[in-house]
Amino acid sequence: MTGGRARRLERVALNVACLGVAFFILAPFVWMLICSFAGEAELTRRPPVFVPTPPTLANYTFIFTGQLPRDPARHGIFVWQTSQEVRLLLPALRNSFIVAMSVMAANVVFGALAAYSFARLRFHGRRSSYAFILISRLMPAVAVAIPFYAIVQQLDLLDTYRALILVYLAFTFPFTIYFLSVYFRYLPAEVEEAALLDGCSRFQTLVRVVVPCAAPGLVAAAAFAFMTAYNEFLFALLLTQTIAAQTMPVLLAAVATNPAVSHALLAACVILAIIPPALLALVLRRYLTRGLVASIAR
Amino acid sequence: MTPERCYPYATVLPVLVVVALFTVYPLLYSAHLSVHENVLTRPLDHDFVGLQNFREVVTGYYFWRSLWSTAIFAAMAVAAVALYGLGTALLLNQALLGSALLNVVVLLPWAIPTVISGIIWRWIFDGDYGVLNGLLLVTGVVNRYVPWMSQTFTARLCMVVAHVWKQGPLAAVFLVAALQVIPPALYDAAHIDGASRSKAFRFVTLPYLKPTLALVLIYETIVAIATFDLVYVMTGGGPADATAIIGWYAYTEIFRFLNLGHGAALALILGVMLLGLVMIYLRAFRSEDAA
Repeated sequence: MTGGRARRLERVALNVACLGVAFFILAPFVWMLICSFAGEAELTRRPPVFVPTPPTLANYTFIFTGQLPRDPARHGIFVWQTSQEVRLLLPALRNSFIVAMSVMAANVVFGALAAYSFARLRFHGRRSSYAFILISRLMPAVAVAIPFYAIVQQLDLLDTYRALILVYLAFTFPFTIYFLSVYFRYLPAEVEEAALLDGCSRFQTLVRVVVPCAAPGLVAAAAFAFMTAYNEFLFALLLTQTIAAQTMPVLLAAVATNPAVSHALLAACVILAIIPPALLALVLRRYLTRGLVASIAR
Repeated sequence: MTPERCYPYATVLPVLVVVALFTVYPLLYSAHLSVHENVLTRPLDHDFVGLQNFREVVTGYYFWRSLWSTAIFAAMAVAAVALYGLGTALLLNQALLGSALLNVVVLLPWAIPTVISGIIWRWIFDGDYGVLNGLLLVTGVVNRYVPWMSQTFTARLCMVVAHVWKQGPLAAVFLVAALQVIPPALYDAAHIDGASRSKAFRFVTLPYLKPTLALVLIYETIVAIATFDLVYVMTGGGPADATAIIGWYAYTEIFRFLNLGHGAALALILGVMLLGLVMIYLRAFRSEDAA
């Protein structure tokens, strides 16, 4: 039957197209992974060695321990020396984690509290403050870069975690509030009313009844807040000066724009740095997709 | 007031304070800076200069050049993201093994920092040792390495590819959501009426997709115009300012030339431009709501 054959051909073509897009998405990651197991000399050949044999852990060893490679010729010892900054990756990742975790925790706690009030309670200024919070997110970041610097300087918070956390909270709260208040509004109100009749306060109702029901939404909101803070670059660049508070994107941008960088070391840094957000994206895929779809109705 | 009446204010206040501190005050501060002379290399002159900063910025050569670069980048990036997003969404919406696989990995580029996507693509496109050149050489497409990042047009193209890779998944996810609410009965009806698949796409799928597509287009325009991280790590604005789009230009005015007045004026112009787009965005959205 020709119809069946055409249909089969179409399925094959569509599958191939899917694989093509998947290749476009994955190939850059795979190449970075390969580079991270290669020696610099293999990458600076024309064409490069596509499969480094044997794969080496020297790049990772250097980032973690500072130990120089046993095979200096393969690893291009000169660029290793000009790429000493990669040794700061672990402190920078620690900074990123502290900042992102704090932003995430504050978003879940304060975001849930405020979002629940916006979703269920009547109070003066509810509509206007809600609108204000949402509209604040439309402000382009570059437009307020200098004032942010000035504020942080006046608060004497330059080069501290607290400065970054504050700024990222201002960036992430609007989305969290929007996202969670929509989520809360869709929960059945009857259970909450029953809890209130049983003598629970609003706060107790939120903690004991609403939070367990809204757990998936809270997880998604937490993941968004974490990623926003973990990935932000411009303000981290402006507000930090030393490794005391410098986050991973700032450090990697500095390493990568150094003309004498070791690409093998840089690749290993990239692989280590993308593990947390990549894991989040894979594990929480469903929650995140639903959240993203909700966010377009902003 | 009773605790129960204070409760909503107490819960909303912390959020409101943080957001206000980093919204109202910065905007006023920016406005103040933009009408005063403020060059860090001349720290004692802070005269009120009215609109002079705006005039100097708008009449400057680099402003128009960066606007032009911004327009080119935004046009290419938005079109590419929309097409790639639409294609990916249509693929994701099929009941195929490939779609299931694609669904698992599609969010990955979106999840990682823009800085890192810039680093990865810069290394792939590298003119001296990039893997793209290596593959093209091995397969015989080119006979010597091409300096992709040092030619005006190809440098812009490289940035667009990196941008699409990172931004496309978001567009795809939005569009899939829109595709999934199309009632299957409509396709059956189109089939019974003898419509071909392309006709069904044009008369059933596209009309349903239009609102979301419009939102994606406008959202992506805003994102493309405000691009900064990619320029910083990939090109530094070069070659010959081909990728010095307006966000990058504002940054260099402030941090290379230390002219805060110019920087603030530029930032406000950029802000107003983006706000204009947001208004269009909101209006488009509201009219869709009414429809």
